[in-house]
Amino acid sequence: MVRDITIGQYYAVDSPVHRLDPRAKILLTIAYIVAVFMVKNLLAYLPIVAFLLFVSNKSRIPIKMLLRGIKPIRILLLFTFVLNMFFGAGERVLFEIGSVQIKYEGLMNAVHFTSRLVLLVMGTSILTLTTPPVVLTDGLETLTSPLKKIGFPSHEMAMMMTIALRFIPTLIEEADKIMKAQTARGADFSSGNLRQRAKAMVPLLVPLFISAFRRAGDLAMAMESRCYHGGEGRTRLHVLKFKKADMYAALSFAVLFALIIIVQKIPILL
Amino acid sequence: MPVELKQVSHRYQEQGDGSTVALDNINFTIEDGELLALIGHTGSGKSTLAQHLNGLLKPSSGEVLIDGKDINNPENKKELRFQVGLVFQYPEYQLFEETVKKDIAFGPKNMGLSEEEIETRVLKAMEIVGLDPEKTGEKSPFELSGGQMRRVALAGILAMKPRFLVLDEPTAGLDPRARKFLLQDIKRLHEEGTTIIMISHSMDDVAELATRVAVMQKGRLVKSGTPKEIFSHNEFLKELGLDVPQASELCFELQNSGLNIKDCYMLDDIADEIERIIKEGGEKHGA
Repeated sequence: MVRDITIGQYYAVDSPVHRLDPRAKILLTIAYIVAVFMVKNLLAYLPIVAFLLFVSNKSRIPIKMLLRGIKPIRILLLFTFVLNMFFGAGERVLFEIGSVQIKYEGLMNAVHFTSRLVLLVMGTSILTLTTPPVVLTDGLETLTSPLKKIGFPSHEMAMMMTIALRFIPTLIEEADKIMKAQTARGADFSSGNLRQRAKAMVPLLVPLFISAFRRAGDLAMAMESRCYHGGEGRTRLHVLKFKKADMYAALSFAVLFALIIIVQKIPILL
Repeated sequence: MPVELKQVSHRYQEQGDGSTVALDNINFTIEDGELLALIGHTGSGKSTLAQHLNGLLKPSSGEVLIDGKDINNPENKKELRFQVGLVFQYPEYQLFEETVKKDIAFGPKNMGLSEEEIETRVLKAMEIVGLDPEKTGEKSPFELSGGQMRRVALAGILAMKPRFLVLDEPTAGLDPRARKFLLQDIKRLHEEGTTIIMISHSMDDVAELATRVAVMQKGRLVKSGTPKEIFSHNEFLKELGLDVPQASELCFELQNSGLNIKDCYMLDDIADEIERIIKEGGEKHGA
C-alpha cells in the first residue's frame, strides 16, 4: 500500500527534467494544474496527454510509474465517475434503467471529471518523482522567501519539512524494531476487534514517541552546537540559478497553453 | 530437547526484484544447558539468526525446530515463542508502561497467567536482575538510569520464564559497572539451567562466559567449537575482521617473544601462567 503512493516518491535517474531548477518545476506544476482546469472540452485533454507523454519521455520516468500513482485513488475515481454519471443534470437521455436515467451530459461530465483527476495526479507526481525532497524544500523556501516580509516563516517551514522527510525512513525502521520486540513479549498486533487492536498499539506508540522526542532533542542539540540560529544570514552551498533549460521548459508550457486554447475553439463535441 | 536449525536460509526482499541473502543454509543444533556465543562481523547475519529462533522471522527455506516441533507451524507458534525469550539490542527502548512492575508484567500477561502468578514472576524476575521491588517497582521506567532500564527490559523477558534466552549484544552501550552486573546475571541464569544464546562483539565477554562459540560470516556458519578451540586460532579470527580476547592476544605476544606459556584466553588463566613463570624464573635466579 505505502509503495503504491507515487506522490512524494523520488525516482532516481538523471534526466533534463531532473536537472531543472526546483523553483521552475514548482511554478510549472502550478501552471500545469491551471492548464488542466482550463479544459472545458474533452478534446482539449489531448494536448495535455501528449504533453505528459513528452515529459515522461524527457524525464525517463516510465508511464507505468505515473499510472501507479492512480491506484491509491481508484475508489475516489470510481465514485466521481458513478456519481456524475447517474446524478448529472441534462436533457438528452441516453438510456433508462427503471427510474435511473443516464443522460448524455452526465456521462460527459463523468468522463470529464475523472480525466481531470487522473491527469492532475499523474502530472503533479512528476514534480516529486524528479526532485529529491531536500531540493524541493530548498525551492519552496526560495519561492516563499518574499513572504518573509509579512512574517511568513519560510526558512523554518522548509527546514521542518526537510527534517520530517529525513526522519520518515528512520521512524519506520524504529517502529519495525519495536513491533518485533513487543511481539517477542507476546504482543499481538494483528488480531482482535478494533478496540483491542487500538489498545495493542500502545506498547508500540509509547516507545516510538519517546524515541522520536529523544531524536528531536539530540538533533536540536547537534544543530545548535554547529551554530544553527535560524535562516537569518544563512548562505547556501548550492545557490539556485535559472538556466537555459528552465526557459525551454517554460516555453514548452506556453506551447501547451496555446494548444489547449486553440483546441477549445474548434466547435465540435459538447 | 534442543533447538534445531535445518538448512535455514533467509533472503531479504529489496526494492525491485533483487534480494540479499542474510542466512545461507544454516544447519545447527543448540543443546540444552549451553551458553552459546554467536560472534561475527556486523552484517554477518547474527541478529537475523536470533530472530529466527523465536519465529519473528520466517526462513525463506528450511525449518527451525524446538523439541522437534516446527516453530513456524501456526498451531505451535504462540506456545513455542514463549519458550524462547528474545532480548533485542538496546531493549530499554521498548519500555512503555507507567511503572517498572507493570512493564515487566506485560509478557506474562500476554501469556494469560493468573494475577498471583504474574505478581510472583515479576518479583522473582526483579530479584534475578538485582532490582529492588520496594524502591524501583512503582517508579516510572523512564526515571531510571540506562543500566537499570536495561535490567528492567531483561526482567520483562525473564518473567516469561523462557527455557532459551537469546541476548542480542546485551552489554552494548553500558558503562563498565553496569556491564559487569549484567554479565554476572547472565552467568547466574546459565548456572541455574537456562540455555543462553548470546550475540556479542566483546570477545572478552565471550571468553569469560561461553561454553561454545559459533562464528558467522556473510550469512554462513563458518566455525563452531569450544572457546579454547576458537580462540587458539588468532589468525583465523583476525582474517574475519574479528577481535580476539585480550588475554589471548597477550598470550600470543608472550609466546612470540619466546616465553614458554600455555595457550589461554581467560584473564584469570593468563594471570596464573604469568605468576608461575615469574616464580620459576625467581627460583632459577635463586639457584
